[in-house]
Amino acid sequence: MLACLGIFSWLQGLREKFPAFILFAFFSSAVQATLYVADITPWITAENFWRIFWGGLLIDGLLKIILIGEIFGNIFGSYPSVVHLGKTLISIVGATLLLSAVLGAAYAQKDNYHWLISGAHLLEQTIYLVECGLILFIFLFARYFKLSWGRASLGIALGLAVSACVHLGTWAVAANGGLLDKRYLLDFLNMATYHLCVLIWCYYLLVPQKEATKSAVPLPDNNLAIWNRELERLLQQ
Amino acid sequence: MNLAIVLVVTAAAALVIILRLAVKQSLQVKESSGLSVTIRPIDVVAFRNLTNNAEDDYLRRRLPPGDFRQVRRERLRAMAAYIQTAAMNAAVLIRVGEAALATGDPRIAQAAGQLVNDALLLRRNTTLALARIYIALAWPNSSFVAVRVIDRYEQVSGSAMLLGRLQNPAAAVRLS
Repeated sequence: MLACLGIFSWLQGLREKFPAFILFAFFSSAVQATLYVADITPWITAENFWRIFWGGLLIDGLLKIILIGEIFGNIFGSYPSVVHLGKTLISIVGATLLLSAVLGAAYAQKDNYHWLISGAHLLEQTIYLVECGLILFIFLFARYFKLSWGRASLGIALGLAVSACVHLGTWAVAANGGLLDKRYLLDFLNMATYHLCVLIWCYYLLVPQKEATKSAVPLPDNNLAIWNRELERLLQQ
Repeated sequence: MNLAIVLVVTAAAALVIILRLAVKQSLQVKESSGLSVTIRPIDVVAFRNLTNNAEDDYLRRRLPPGDFRQVRRERLRAMAAYIQTAAMNAAVLIRVGEAALATGDPRIAQAAGQLVNDALLLRRNTTLALARIYIALAWPNSSFVAVRVIDRYEQVSGSAMLLGRLQNPAAAVRLS
């Protein structure tokens, strides 16, 4: 589904504005397919399966950070007056989140004796914590400055946010040894969330937008008169 | 498990906040067609008087210390009200400018881009100015200057007037 979305987005010309999203869509689908094949192939050992899982997870995490940077650039990039402040703040927020996530991982109660498995769960928790915090920051920063998002940026960010928040919750439970005998519930929730996010992206990227305002909002005459009056007073000072 | 509970609650709270912000964002986009510009005028001269250091010095010399602190706090509160109004006006102008950016006319788009940038800077400066005012409320004897906010406000007014003239050339704009 995600791979199809990547292809359709590519065909719709989104590759110029959202190259990282399209790369993420293709890579994420490829990783899921690879993991499925690795899981059912008898000659791939459990250890090698978890090694593949680790590799995919690391590259996926990196791609998500690049994707968040792309969303940030699309929203604030054309406004030099806030882009520098935004970059500084998002760097500070990112560093703080990473530090908190590392501390969280260090103090987590391991859910498995094999470090490859418990480490993968902790890495998931770390990635989703950082991702969730960065997306929340972008939403709050844009809201404070009342900047409007493009439809595609909003959809991609919303899907990522839903994915990050739900997965943070589920992987936090898994990484800390919760629901050990009912892990299938977490798997169902993760899968349902994944599909919901793909549907959100499909809606925002593929369904045509109803024609929004294209005409300029005129400044009312009375406000212009007020400004004129104030300016005249300033000039007469 | 305590850490897991903390993270689950944090994730749920973040999700609620993000969903609310996303809904507001969608509504903002839809409502932009009927955007009622509600800019509240600011008396710039009165604002300048409030931030005038000479007036503060005069009051400091003429009033007993206790009375001066009380008057200074009143002036700071009035200044904060002006700055909050300027911040709200900046938010409205950002939306007006963004709506104008979508028009095909390159001159309007350029003026709108300038307006949005100036309004964003004004909004950023008002936040810093408000923080300084609240600090000054705790120490009324400290000196405080908010001139940069006023200057920025005047610059935004200029950008808004330029955009207004381009959008509606029939409206007479008297500069002298």
